Amino acid sequence: MQIIACYSNKGGVGKTATAVNLAYAFAASGRRTLLCDLDPQGASGFYFRVKPSKKLIDAQFFEDDQRFAKAIRGSDYDNLDILPANISFRDFDVFLSRMKNSQSRLKKALKAVKSDYDVVVLDCPPNISMLSENVFHAADAVVVPVIPTTLSQRTFDQLLEFFQASDLPENRIHAFFSMVQGIKSLHGETIAGMTEAHPGRFAQATIPFASEIERMGLTRAPVLATAPGSRAGKAYQALFEEIEGRVKA
Amino acid sequence: MITGDETYYLSATRLGDLAGRDVQNLTPLLEWAEGSRPFAIRDCFDQSLRMSRRLLLEDGSRLELISAAGEVLRQPATPQARFVAEFAKGPVKIALAGLSPLRALLPVASGMARSGRLALVDGEGKTRARAELRELQPTDGNAVILVRPQGLRGYDRALHDLVAHLRDCGGTPFGAGNLYRMIDPANTGYVARPKIEVGREETAFDAANDLIDGHLPVARANEQGIVADLDTEFLHDYRVALRKIRSVLSLFKGVYDPEQTAGLKARFSALMVPTGPLRDLDVYLLAQQDFCDLVPERMHAGLDRMFARLRDRRAAEHAKLAAHLRSKGYQKEIKALAKLFARRRKLLPGPNASRASFDLACELIWKRYRRIRRIAAGLTAETPDEEVHALRIECKKLRYLMEFFGPVFPRGDFQKVLKPLKELQDSLGLFNDYAVQQTRLQAFADDLGDAPHKLDIAQSVGALVIVLHQKQLAEREKIAATFARFNSGRMQRTIRRLFHEGKGS
Repeated sequence: MQIIACYSNKGGVGKTATAVNLAYAFAASGRRTLLCDLDPQGASGFYFRVKPSKKLIDAQFFEDDQRFAKAIRGSDYDNLDILPANISFRDFDVFLSRMKNSQSRLKKALKAVKSDYDVVVLDCPPNISMLSENVFHAADAVVVPVIPTTLSQRTFDQLLEFFQASDLPENRIHAFFSMVQGIKSLHGETIAGMTEAHPGRFAQATIPFASEIERMGLTRAPVLATAPGSRAGKAYQALFEEIEGRVKA
Repeated sequence: MITGDETYYLSATRLGDLAGRDVQNLTPLLEWAEGSRPFAIRDCFDQSLRMSRRLLLEDGSRLELISAAGEVLRQPATPQARFVAEFAKGPVKIALAGLSPLRALLPVASGMARSGRLALVDGEGKTRARAELRELQPTDGNAVILVRPQGLRGYDRALHDLVAHLRDCGGTPFGAGNLYRMIDPANTGYVARPKIEVGREETAFDAANDLIDGHLPVARANEQGIVADLDTEFLHDYRVALRKIRSVLSLFKGVYDPEQTAGLKARFSALMVPTGPLRDLDVYLLAQQDFCDLVPERMHAGLDRMFARLRDRRAAEHAKLAAHLRSKGYQKEIKALAKLFARRRKLLPGPNASRASFDLACELIWKRYRRIRRIAAGLTAETPDEEVHALRIECKKLRYLMEFFGPVFPRGDFQKVLKPLKELQDSLGLFNDYAVQQTRLQAFADDLGDAPHKLDIAQSVGALVIVLHQKQLAEREKIAATFARFNSGRMQRTIRRLFHEGKGS
């Protein structure tokens, strides 16, 4: 089982849209995928029309494997389930260690409901100070959207510093440029500069600033499901293929 | 838990009900995929698949086997394949291994199929439960829809509601009802061995009439399959049914007026005669592989040539028999016989006609049994083949009698006698087959004349005859032992109690 965390220490960068489309793409490729909605603001569950369960707002949540398993909801798409939890991230590490550890009760609970997953995609909350180091340890990949602006450059540097300070492997970070506007020369310059400054950290694929992505709030479905042939759809597919390749390697 | 693996079927006329109204505040959304493809439901003539609650569906280029428990096996379809052995390797073929290899899988219905999906959607537009639909529109018959509900994780209630709604709309699980009849109301199953209830106090006359009346339709049901040459079992079943009728006539002594009995025997015998040559050839051709396995590989070419000649002969014999079965003369005769035993007014009772079935059965069975013991007692290694054959015939008659009258005897003891009798018959049957095969093969070789490759064929046949002779000798040695099992002290006591002391129960 692979754990892919969609993470950004800055809000409003297209993180939830990325988690939603990546999870959809993994499922469409035939892998049993669980998308965990861990960001109370992102609401990736909203995009799949899954109502958050009131029962889940509970500190005891991850202590109880059965309740965890029961909270999972099937999406409208094959191979893709959603955990529409609305939980505090202090439980993250417990959650992840259980997901990782094949001997864990959680894994057994998943098996008990005949649903083991090949890929778990986490839509993480945008906050570095509170985010446990263990999340970064547990994830096989940390996918980081970066808007090519000076401000984003600084937050990305902070993330790298955090990794270095915490002795975490930087090669788990897979950044990509998000909400790119080709018309802005600043974007182009920033992309060139950051790619050069951080060789290998940035994916080739970039996600454009596109109306299809904004419309996800109305269609309440992944762009890859509603408009796979659009510029944004193709960009997400390319990003998925790159991330998939990087995680495999 | 997600359940709902089960597949249901319903008449296409009920689709409006299924997709037309809300289900517990969930809105149904029905979508059909573009395009359609050919489909065929296949089964053996005896509907073995339906009887085992399975559906074999050729859907486009895929072959599916759906079980009542909801399991669906899939593999690529093999176009033109009629027998399981001809299917490509795959899970469906493996699962069908239990079917008779001799029975063709015939289309029960065929036409065009299309796929769709029914979703139950909540107020947010989220699907809570759905079902895969397959509409089968047969060329002849009523359209049906196969429905396979699919639960979404965490929405068990909606799935439950969907299944309940489906059942309300006439959705029937595969294990129940009769899908074939929904498609074609005239579809009737075929039973090769009809269960004919014979009552203890029923007169022997009525019992004989019931048995003959019950087996005549079996023979008739096979006529079309023989004419169309669908598989060899049609002819086999046809002959078995007629043979049973003839056995009733010959074994139920004195039930019909002697003169009428003789006349009926002759008439049924005349029906049987034209079927013999084709059945003989079928038996040889079906054994082709077994024969080849008996001789060294260098002999195979000769055997292959022999079988090629037999196939040509078979084609000719089949054409002859098919013409016969289609002839007005045959049709008139079989209908007249059927009418005779259905109406029964023109049947003349003989001296035993009014005896109770149970009494007559005991007497007939006991007599046969004693005759068998008498023949078997004198059996040694030197006994001529003819006497072994005589024993075989007697056992066969005993078996028929026991089967006809089976319902009037207690089941447990009856089965205890039947089992060793069957074993003995198997052994005697093999012995006889080996003997007949040798004679026939020799005759075939002698009859080759100036046929091309005569020498090849004669050599291979010679080798085969030697092996068959050895097998015959080996089987003969077994007969004594199988008879001893049938003739054990316990068996003797059981048979005496059942059939001689009037203590059938």
